[in-house]
Amino acid sequence: MVHSKLLRVAFLAVVVSASSAQKQADMAACAACHTEAITQPQTPMGRALQLPGQDLILREHPILRVHKGAYDYMVQTHGKDSTYTVTDGTRTISVPLNWNFGVHNQTWILQWNGNFYESMISYYASIGGLDTTTGDEQIAPKDIEQAFGRRISVHDAKACFGCHTTNSVSGVDLDLATLHPGLACEHCHQGTEQHLQDISDGLVTSIPQPLGKLTAGQQGNFCGQCHRTWEMAVRSHWHGEMTVRFQPYRLEISKCFNANDPRIGCLACHDPHLPLSHDLAFYDHKCLACHAPPNDTTARHRAGTASLPMAKACPKATSNCVSCHMPRTRMLGGHLVFTDHDIRIVRPGDAYPN
Amino acid sequence: MYRQAVALNGGWSDGWWYLGLLQYATDSYVPARDALTHFIQLSPNAGPAIALRGLCEFELGEYPSALQDVERGIAAGAANDPHNQEILLYHEALLRARTGDFEGAIDAYERFVKTESTNPELFVAIGLAGLQKPLLPSDLPADQVPLFKQTGQAGYAYLQGDQSAAEQAFEKLFQRYPTTPNLHYFYAYLLLAVDPAAASAQLRDELQVAPTNEAALLLAGWADMLQSKYKEGLTYARRALEIHPGMPMAELEMGRCLVETGEVRQGIQYLDKIDAVQPNNLEVHLAYVVAYEAENRPADARRERLLCLKLARQEVGVGSQ
Repeated sequence: MVHSKLLRVAFLAVVVSASSAQKQADMAACAACHTEAITQPQTPMGRALQLPGQDLILREHPILRVHKGAYDYMVQTHGKDSTYTVTDGTRTISVPLNWNFGVHNQTWILQWNGNFYESMISYYASIGGLDTTTGDEQIAPKDIEQAFGRRISVHDAKACFGCHTTNSVSGVDLDLATLHPGLACEHCHQGTEQHLQDISDGLVTSIPQPLGKLTAGQQGNFCGQCHRTWEMAVRSHWHGEMTVRFQPYRLEISKCFNANDPRIGCLACHDPHLPLSHDLAFYDHKCLACHAPPNDTTARHRAGTASLPMAKACPKATSNCVSCHMPRTRMLGGHLVFTDHDIRIVRPGDAYPN
Repeated sequence: MYRQAVALNGGWSDGWWYLGLLQYATDSYVPARDALTHFIQLSPNAGPAIALRGLCEFELGEYPSALQDVERGIAAGAANDPHNQEILLYHEALLRARTGDFEGAIDAYERFVKTESTNPELFVAIGLAGLQKPLLPSDLPADQVPLFKQTGQAGYAYLQGDQSAAEQAFEKLFQRYPTTPNLHYFYAYLLLAVDPAAASAQLRDELQVAPTNEAALLLAGWADMLQSKYKEGLTYARRALEIHPGMPMAELEMGRCLVETGEVRQGIQYLDKIDAVQPNNLEVHLAYVVAYEAENRPADARRERLLCLKLARQEVGVGSQ
């Protein structure tokens, strides 16, 4: 079974392009009625995985090198082809890069000797270069295979591809031949293909899952399938700064989280069809929808939640709320910084709340 | 000499310890156990002595008390030395399987299996836990050894992280032993944490082989719950309760699945039953969070969330921050 999967993978370069083109055509068809399908492909989620030749990072950095311990790493790009190479001076492993995970920072799932590996080295935008993949800092490679990457099972690979691509996972199978890079419409909106078919047949009999009606709690569970749910984090006993990248978990440990209040769900602040806003002021009216001063009803009306109960207003400010109450937190390894979604009053010297 | 010394001075703890140690070394397990019991009465937190008494009890066939002592000894630090660690963790795993805690045994082997091994007894032992036979490797009839050894090798490959080799080994086993109960269950149990969908597929195969396999029904319900397939989970939980009314794990699954499928009040009743006897069961409180949110009781949901975080911290011994 494993071998058959890997054989399928070997033909990917040819097959993926056809599958991907079909998916792009499908998305264009969606965009005819749903304008959000026009912007979504350019979002980080829409580009969660990039195929050879599409990747700006690798195109802009044709040679990336780093020396770690006894090993030299190089990621080299010629035209559409990139290779990942590790050597200890005596032995060398070099493989093509087929799947580039991430837009700003990048890790690679590699194949060697019939197995999947997560690259030991990743690209970080903050340094414009390579360093140890976050989470692998404690690994001291004993040989070149370990230095090459962390071997992962087909099951782990399913999780990676399942969140970074569309159409690669079906039930128990990982089928990279049908992969579409990044998140296309049906990754989240189950039933899209049937809906498209029905529409082309002049029918409106099938409507994909209406995600806009999910409660804040349900949104956390839905988005958390990839971004990790509160329950996953608790059940897995995850602690410490590494949890800052699990936004639904962090949001739901916030004192103000209420699973039935639409003002605190993922979609209250983020439209997954648009690029993420890095302008802190953009989020102010989201906060003020609950925390507006008593005489300010504008924010509440803008949020469409005027009838919901209000929380205490901030005595310090009514702008740039996020800069104080959702502090930026650096993960172990130092290259990745995330906004902590545990909304709180942060006091100097406070430990990272778990 | 030690025997005479402790007869004269029963409060001399070192005397009891060395007496127990010497008698264990000479295979005199009854007097060794008794000497160590005296020592433990004088030094109740002496992990190595508690664990050694457990090993005496193991040799005497007193398996439940052996397991209790080995686990207590490990908890008190007896396994901190690498050599002792290997012996104690192995015996802990053997004893868990021998006393019917097969999943606990597999979890113990997972901690134990860190280095390459070609030890056939270890493979048989893992096979016994996987196929749910409450036996020690030495008690297994010779004609059954190949099945258990191959099963153990497949499980060992998985526990060592070579999941591709494990998949191939299990596929061969399924072809060679298509009607053996618990074979698919064992693989499903291993897969559950990383791939609930793959575990579900194995459990469906298991229930074809053994339709009333309670553990498989429970795990199938659990795997569905992990995939948010609560209607399907409810079906398995109901079937498990029909076979074994009052089974806590099945009631917990019922509670969670009912809450998730809209029967919140009824679900809470199941959860309350478990909570009354297992107040620190994390899964019960995770389900309460969902139930109270469904009932729009944010304060109760918040309280349960905080309790879940506390219980999760306690499970791994992380101090509150």
